[in-house]
This record gives sequence, structure tokens and C-alpha cells, in this order.
Amino acid sequence: MELSINRRTLNKQLKRWPGWLVLAAVVVIALAIASAGSSGPLTDSDRIDSISQRLACPTCDGESVYESQASAARGIRQQIKRFVEQGTPSDDQIIQYIQNQFGTKTLLVPNASGFDALVWALPAFAFVVAVAGLAVAFRRWKLVADTVPTDDDRALVQAALNDQEHEHES
Amino acid sequence: MFAVEVAAGINATLGHSLLLIGLVCATFGALATVYGIRTNDNKLLRSTQRYAWGVCAAGVGAFVVMERALIQRDWSMKYVQQVGSADTPFLFNITAIWSALEGSILLWLVVLVGYTVVIAQRFRKRLADPLVAWALVVMFVVCMFFFVLTLGPADAFQRGALGVTSGPGPNPLLQNHILVLFHPPILYLGYVGMTVPFAFAIAALITGRVGERWLSETRRFALFAWGFLTIGIILGGWWSYEVLGWSGVWGWDPVENASLLPWLTGTAYIHSVLVQERRGMLRVWNLTLLVATFALTILGTFLTRSGVIKSVHAFSNGSIGPYLLSFFGLIVVVSLGLIAWRGDRLRSPGSIDSPLSREGAFLANNVVFTVFAFVVLLGTVFPLIVEALQNRTIKVGAPYFERLSIPFGITLLFLMAVAPVLPWRKASAELLRERLFWPAWGGALAIVVPLLIGARGLAPLLAFGLGGFASGAALRQLVLATRRQGWRGLVGRANGGMIVHIGVIVVAVALVASTTYTHSSRLILEAGKPASYGGHTFELIEVQSFTTPRSNGIRAQISIDGGQTYAPAITKFTNFGSNIPTPSVRTGIFNDIYLTLESGAKAGATTLPMKVFIKPLIVWLWIGGALMVFGTLLSAFPGTRRRLPTQPTSAPIPVDNDEPLAEIVDV
Repeated sequence: MELSINRRTLNKQLKRWPGWLVLAAVVVIALAIASAGSSGPLTDSDRIDSISQRLACPTCDGESVYESQASAARGIRQQIKRFVEQGTPSDDQIIQYIQNQFGTKTLLVPNASGFDALVWALPAFAFVVAVAGLAVAFRRWKLVADTVPTDDDRALVQAALNDQEHEHES
Repeated sequence: MFAVEVAAGINATLGHSLLLIGLVCATFGALATVYGIRTNDNKLLRSTQRYAWGVCAAGVGAFVVMERALIQRDWSMKYVQQVGSADTPFLFNITAIWSALEGSILLWLVVLVGYTVVIAQRFRKRLADPLVAWALVVMFVVCMFFFVLTLGPADAFQRGALGVTSGPGPNPLLQNHILVLFHPPILYLGYVGMTVPFAFAIAALITGRVGERWLSETRRFALFAWGFLTIGIILGGWWSYEVLGWSGVWGWDPVENASLLPWLTGTAYIHSVLVQERRGMLRVWNLTLLVATFALTILGTFLTRSGVIKSVHAFSNGSIGPYLLSFFGLIVVVSLGLIAWRGDRLRSPGSIDSPLSREGAFLANNVVFTVFAFVVLLGTVFPLIVEALQNRTIKVGAPYFERLSIPFGITLLFLMAVAPVLPWRKASAELLRERLFWPAWGGALAIVVPLLIGARGLAPLLAFGLGGFASGAALRQLVLATRRQGWRGLVGRANGGMIVHIGVIVVAVALVASTTYTHSSRLILEAGKPASYGGHTFELIEVQSFTTPRSNGIRAQISIDGGQTYAPAITKFTNFGSNIPTPSVRTGIFNDIYLTLESGAKAGATTLPMKVFIKPLIVWLWIGGALMVFGTLLSAFPGTRRRLPTQPTSAPIPVDNDEPLAEIVDV
């Protein structure tokens, strides 16, 4: 019995702010290590995969170069492979090169400029509107909740209740 | 010969007649029910069950006739000419029915008439209740629309060109895996099932009984449909993984997005409905979510079945588009009109006191899910908008959706961690500090352990940490509930819901791990010389060729780690030109090894170009999915009864009462 009480108080003690501070420290340090390191070097094949995932297969219906088994996609994969094995061009340069060759239809991610920027801006806008809407709703609810009923209000409710009772009786 | 032709004629005629009978039954069912409601004719209303059975018999009959035509290889029918083939194996010949547009609408119809009859049967003693009657009217009207589709723009029973005696069979990808039998019907059970809560929502609006009763009537239907949609989506991912050879489970393809959209709004609904049940609030919002969920199923079908969006999944057909789009417009206009008309009744009493409360968390959940749904919809239709306005072609692909889904995923994991410990009404900082302590340490553990194993990267480890945090919160709830109530602590919406949460977290962690830490390599294997990659050895045993009546191809035997052999293949279906690679996967608790053949592989050769993917935690996607389904089943069971009169939400708002508030006060 005494042990269980001790355990309970220990549990309580742990949950105070110092316990949380230790927790925060552990998490921050762990995340810092995690973001500093990298999990092993990328193989050529990994790089080819990640580049081809960013390109649309020019002859398919909505597949990426990575997914597609069409000959055009295979050709582009071969091309990327040659670039990657050369080692010099960066991922972006390779993508740029493929695009110069096939046009913007190989672009799988819309540009962040011109009209196409809307596809990036609208989600942010929707999020802001939704959060603002929520904030307004909470404000309104708070106002409603804060209203103290006046004596008139109470009289009105009492009258309504009395009416009901009479109805039930009759 | 003559006999075969007679049988052939019969299939087309029989199919058309059944569909026509179904249309007539649905129309009369709708009219009779409306008439019965108007004239208070209870006897008539009780008989509407017959129309439902008639509609069901006709729809199922038409489906059976189409299967019969496929099995008989009835070449007089256009659809059989399109998807049938003399040498398709029995199973894939059966599933060929949903391998093109017309048949997939038939499948939709079968599921829909099934739900209609289930409602008529389930509520058979209350058919005279206007709420149930109006819900049936809505079901009949939706049935009418689909019968019209199957008779008009998606006519599966059209006669085909004369003299054709063979067909190509279904698309090769639809005839090489058993999941083709399960994924489409299960997905449709979920997708089409969203019609039922929609029907009750409309009925509640029409009758003005927008109180909470109609919710409890349909909560299980909504949960059922949501559960099937979940299974359908996960099976789709599994299928893609096993069949397509790019080792992924989700490609953000427009058709996949079309199934995700109603899942997102449906998930928002099954959460926010709890606020309405408990507090009587958010009525308009919940109705809107149900309407949106159903409308999105129709819009998604329009996008992917009318040919406006190109996708590997899409079946294009020119004339069905306007029908679906008009129906979508009708749903939106009628529903919004009804909501506006009933606005006065929909305003709910009460208020949400604090954002830091269970209700507040549900609202935050709703904001995240609806904005996420908006983003998915935007990304899916944006190419159409650009094409319409600027006459340019652009693509919005997987990287866009992946990038945008990260913040949503992180926020949802965080909410799943905090929400279960929040009380209704209001929470204090001390209470959170107290309740979240051990779950938060669970989160810390979920960061430290992968870190020690060698996982790196901020976003994935943050996701693992939040996953651990959220599962800690879910486990806490389950432990407390089972301590109090024994095994009953696992059933009911709150506890079953926590099991669903754990399933979702498992899926999320597996998704993050498998997308972030997949490594791949192209290997050239030589017979007798094991090659090694990622800590495993791969040895080429042999490369054989094979021939079946419908295909030919090559299959390699590769031994992994000197043990069991795996056999990736490349198949060429004779009726279709392209090479279809079939991967072979060694599944493990921690890692999957995924083998595919690269082009250049030849039968009998002693060298073989192939690609190896090492993908962590894939199997946990399916395990998490199974947990989600298990939890959904548990939450469909009634938990602790909550019928105390003191609870304000049990008060129905009367229809013919000018003083609805008085009624509530009375309770």
C-alpha cells in the first residue's frame, strides 16, 4: 500500500515542470542531431529515382517518368542515368536540360510564378481564411458565453416554463 | 450456332429491359413515396419497400446478365467485344465487368440498389415516418439517375458490330493480380455508401427534423461506408505496390485523388458529428460535410470518367460528362437551397467555450481536413482551370501533393496526440501537463530509438515523434478505459476510435519511413556470381521464357541471401503491345526487398539487368490498415449508453413548434 502511494507521488513529482524540461531537452537535442546528419550517401539509383519523380512522362496520361513504363519515360531515365554517372550536373540542371528538350509538359510541379503561382498561393490563403473563421467563431461564442442573463431574460424563461407546465397539466 | 445467337440477342434485350424496369421502379418508388408523404397515406408508405426490392432486383439482374454475357463470350455485345477475350481466365473474365466505363457504372448501380434495399429493410417498421420516407425518396432519385446513365451515355448492353468473334480482354494490368477482384467493389461499397447519410441529411432538412435523431440513425451507415472506403484505398495501394513495378503505393493520380476527397470530408464528418451528438452544435457544418462528401463522389466520377482529366486509371467516354456534371450541380444547388431554407432551425443553441477543449480539437481537425481536401481538389482540377482560361497544358503531379501534405500530416498527428486527453468544455494547463506527460515521453522515445538505429532528417523524425506522442495518448485512453470497464473498454466510438487512431499512426509512420528511407540500385547479375546490395546478396539462378495462350514473357529466378528464390517477370500480352513488368517482393517486418527486371533482360542469358529497392516498414501499411478496420468495427458497436435526460443533446427539435427553445429548456 505504502509503495503504491509512493509510486503515485513519484509519478506526480515527475509530471511537474522539471520533468517536462528534461523531456523538451531530450527532444530538442535528438531533433538537432537528426537534422544535422544524413542517413547514408545516396546511390546513383536513388538520385535517378528522385529526379525522375519530379518529371512527367511526356507521352503518358499523368504518370511521372519514375512510374511510367512507356518508351519515352525509359529514354528519359537513361538520359538522367548518363548525367548522374557523369556526376557534374546538379539535379536542377538535369531537370532543366530535360525540360529544354521536351518543353514544359514534362514539368510535374507547377511554377511559382504567373498564373500558376495560384496553385501554391490558394492553399495558404484557404488555410488563413479557415483559421480566421475559426477565430471569429470562438470570439462570437465567447461573447455569447459571457453574456449574463438580465432579470428580464430570467422572467421570460420562467414565463415560458410556466406555460409549458400549464399545458402539461391541461 | 443459331442457339448461340439467340442467347446473345437475349443478353442485350434482357439487360436493357431490366434497366428499364429498374428505372420505372425507382421513378414510381420516388413518386409514390412523395405522394404518400403529402397525403399522409401510411398504407402507401409502408408499401414503398416493394419498389426498393424491385429496383434492387432489376439492378442486380442487369449485372448478372452482363456477367453471363461475359462468361458466354457473347460477341454480339459491344461491351464484350471491348473487354472480353476468349482466353481470359475465368476470374479475370468475371472482373472484366468493371474494367471499363459502362461496366463500372453497372457496379456502382448494384451497390446503390443494394444500399437502397438495406435502408428499406432496416427501417421497414418506420417507413411511414416522413424522415425515413424522404430518405428513401432521395435514394430512389439517385437510383433513377444511375439507371438513366446505364440506359443512355454508359449503355453496357449496346449491340456491337456484326461479325466480331474476339476481343482484346481487359487491360493487362487488370488481369494479373487477385486484388482486381476486391479493390473495386470494396472501394465502391465505401464510395457509394456515402449516399446513405446524404439521403438522411436531405430528409432531415426537408422534414425540418434537424435535431440529432437522424444522426444516430445514420452514424453506423456513415462509419460503414467510411470503413469500406478506407479498406478500398489501402487495397488500392497494395495492388499498385504488387503490380506496377515502381514500388510505390500512392501516386496522387487524379483517380486516386477522387477516392481520397470524400474520405477526407467523411473523416472530418465522423469527428465533428460527435460535437453535434454531445453538444447539439455544428448542425449546418455537419450537413455541409455530408453533402460535400456525396457531391465529391459525383464530381470525382465526373473528373475521371468523362475524359476531361487524363489518368492511367481513367476511362474516357465523351457523353457521360455533362450528365455527371449536371447531377453534381443539382446536388449542390438543392442541398444549399435546403440549408438556406432551414437556416432558422439550424441555428444551434450553446457555444464552445474554449479552443482548448475536445470540441475545439474537433474543430481544428475539421479545419485541417477540409483545407486538405480543398488542396487535393485544387491540385487535381488546376490543370483544367489553366487549360480553360489560358489554353495551356500544365501538370500538377505527385511532388506538389507530397510537399503540401507534409504540414497537414504533421498537424493531424499533433492533434491526434492532444485531442484524446482533452475534456469537453474546457481544459487547464495543469490537466494537460498531467495527462500528456507519458504520451509525450512516448514521442521522445519514438525520436530517440530511430535516431540510435541511424535514421536522420528533421521532418521524418518529427513525424515519428508525433506518431509516438499520438499513440501514447491513444494507448492512455485505452488503458484507462479497459481498467474501468474490462473488455468493454475497447468498444464504442471513443475507444474503438483510439484503435483506428493507432492504425492511422502506424500507416503514417510506415508511409514516412518507406518514402524517406527507400534505397534502390540497378544491378547487373551474372549467373553464379552473387551481387550484394544493402546488406543482402542476390544470385541469378536462371532466366526462363514462358508462354500462355494470352501472353508470353520472361521470368528470372533470383535467390536472395542464398535462400528462397524470387521471380520477377516481364509479360507481354499478345493483344496489347506493351511490356508489363511484374515485381517480386520479399516481405519482412522491417524491410521489403522489391525486385523488378529492367529492359534488356533476355531469356537464357547469363547476365540480367534488374533493379532492387530496399523499402523499410512497408508491411506496416497493411497492418495499420487492418487495425483501422478493426477499430472501425469496434466503434460501430454501442459503447456505454448515454441516454440520460439531463444531457441536452437528446432533445429533438420538434417540427411543428414555434418555440423550439422552450422545448429544450423543458428537458
